[in-house]
Amino acid sequence: MTDGPGEAVQPGLDDLAGEAAVLRIYRQAFAVLAREAEKMILSPQLLDVDEAILGAFAESGSDGLTEEQVRNACRRYPEATVNRRFEVLRGYGAISKVFERPNERYYRAAFAPYIMLLFLRRIAERGGQSELHQLLSMEHESVSAESATQQDGRASLERLTQVFRLIANELSIMSLGADVEQLRENAQLLWGNEALISRAEDVHAVVLNRWPRLDRECQWLRAGLAAYKDAIDAAAARLIERAGTTRALGLLPAEEWRTFARTADIDRLGAVLETFVFDAPGPWFDPQAMTEAVESGGRPEAARMPPPRPAGDGDAPGDDDGPGDPKDAGDRVGDTVAELLAGSRSVDIADALRAAPDWPSARRILAHMTAAHHDPDLPYTLTWGEGLDADDTETPAWVTRGSFARDAGAS
Amino acid sequence: MTGQDGAQDTALAWARARAAGPLRTPPDAPVPDGMIRLAEPDGTAAWLVPRVPDTADTRVLAELGLAGPLLEMPNDTARLLAATLRCCWEDPHEPPWPGRPAAEAEVLTVFGDLTGPRDEAAHRRSAVAGLRRLDQAGWLLWDEAAGAVRLGPRVALWSGSDLAVLRQLWRSINFPECSPEIITPTRDVTGGAGQAPAPEPAPGPGPGEDR
Repeated sequence: MTDGPGEAVQPGLDDLAGEAAVLRIYRQAFAVLAREAEKMILSPQLLDVDEAILGAFAESGSDGLTEEQVRNACRRYPEATVNRRFEVLRGYGAISKVFERPNERYYRAAFAPYIMLLFLRRIAERGGQSELHQLLSMEHESVSAESATQQDGRASLERLTQVFRLIANELSIMSLGADVEQLRENAQLLWGNEALISRAEDVHAVVLNRWPRLDRECQWLRAGLAAYKDAIDAAAARLIERAGTTRALGLLPAEEWRTFARTADIDRLGAVLETFVFDAPGPWFDPQAMTEAVESGGRPEAARMPPPRPAGDGDAPGDDDGPGDPKDAGDRVGDTVAELLAGSRSVDIADALRAAPDWPSARRILAHMTAAHHDPDLPYTLTWGEGLDADDTETPAWVTRGSFARDAGAS
Repeated sequence: MTGQDGAQDTALAWARARAAGPLRTPPDAPVPDGMIRLAEPDGTAAWLVPRVPDTADTRVLAELGLAGPLLEMPNDTARLLAATLRCCWEDPHEPPWPGRPAAEAEVLTVFGDLTGPRDEAAHRRSAVAGLRRLDQAGWLLWDEAAGAVRLGPRVALWSGSDLAVLRQLWRSINFPECSPEIITPTRDVTGGAGQAPAPEPAPGPGPGEDR
């Protein structure tokens, strides 16, 4: 939307494209009316002018507006343009006098044209498919209604036939001539079409059952639907051909696929993969890869040698917990258990273990005691008794009774 | 095959093949849709191998940038398959299936030729590992007890253009015609006995015992 009258603001390409889309639909819908009023809409600004005029009326309240007030409200636009659009809107009854008398200066606006405008913008944005669904439901209801007459059925059929013929024509023209980009942009005409077709077939079935004499009209609708299906196939084939064997899923946005994968039930999900075949999960040998492997073979491969260790380190890594030199290890165990006994001759195992802050350290203590018991060089003995000590406030909660003692003969 | 039963049998056969690879069936078993039948040379059995369209096979995985089934030691395994192909594919102008059975020692000799000089134990180990992997995937049939190796049913899945590349490979591999004792990386068949210890004396179905 431009701000000043006649101000030459260059809109971006995206704006232009959006406006062009609105304009295209608007022109299609209003061509008949506009031709009668001798006013075709030739630039997107005219749409904004229409909207501004209707907006001014919306704000005006119940009194209505004079022509001058409208012009004032729309002073952002060139006056001549506003005048012309005002005349056009009045011409087809979107604006009418508050009272139908010769010198009436106040005008009021009908709401329907504005709704039409909104509707058109929406169709331009979304491709009009949901409107088509609504139309189909409405047609279905009206032909199913008790009070519906054969006349209604015929009218319904004719409308639907027209709709599908128009879509089919548009699609097949595009699939023949348009480039793939354009085809992809209009892909919303392609997807979800099965529901459309089946709903149209429902209407068709209702009409044919109720008024068998309309079979000629029904035949037209069938032909229209078939043409639509063919056009879809042709357009989809072009897109798929372009997508290649990888079936580039760019036809739909990735989120659309994720939504489908999350919400579809098993049958629908399975239907997607019906035509796919997967190979058994054995490795595949590509001859090219085999050739490369054979060619790269035969070269002497570097034998895997362990990394050199510093001389003199021997086999004892200086790791605290590692199995060091047996002598050193024995010494370390001896030191630990000597510390554990703290000068006394013998210690209760339950006390020793429960003195530790947690289970891992208790486990380490037990391991040291066991090691000391088995080490012939160390004068310690681990004696296990009968029964278990259980106390859930202690850690460990269960301890087998027993004692750890320095041998009598030792110092 | 017609009707519901046929469709069910087909689906079952495909599911089996999906889980277990090529199916070994009695020679008169029906052939489900989409599978190819490979008769054993002695006519006692037939293999059913699933053949998927070109647009659904592993090439599509590569196109999509996805990893196929993981294969350990892919290069050594590919070399071993090449060695087996060299030994068992007698006439490269014929389809590789069924080929002729070859002695394990023979295949190992060619394999050693392809891998180059190696420690004997390492050579033996990688050969056995490769034989097991390929046998499990149906690329070759390894009779461990008899020490015999032949091509598996999956080799029938190589396409015409694949076979052209393989023929090239076949010609480039040196075949130790009369003296399987020789394991040497040189192209000279009768050349000096190399660093490798002598394998089984003859390409007969001798016991493939460890040395």
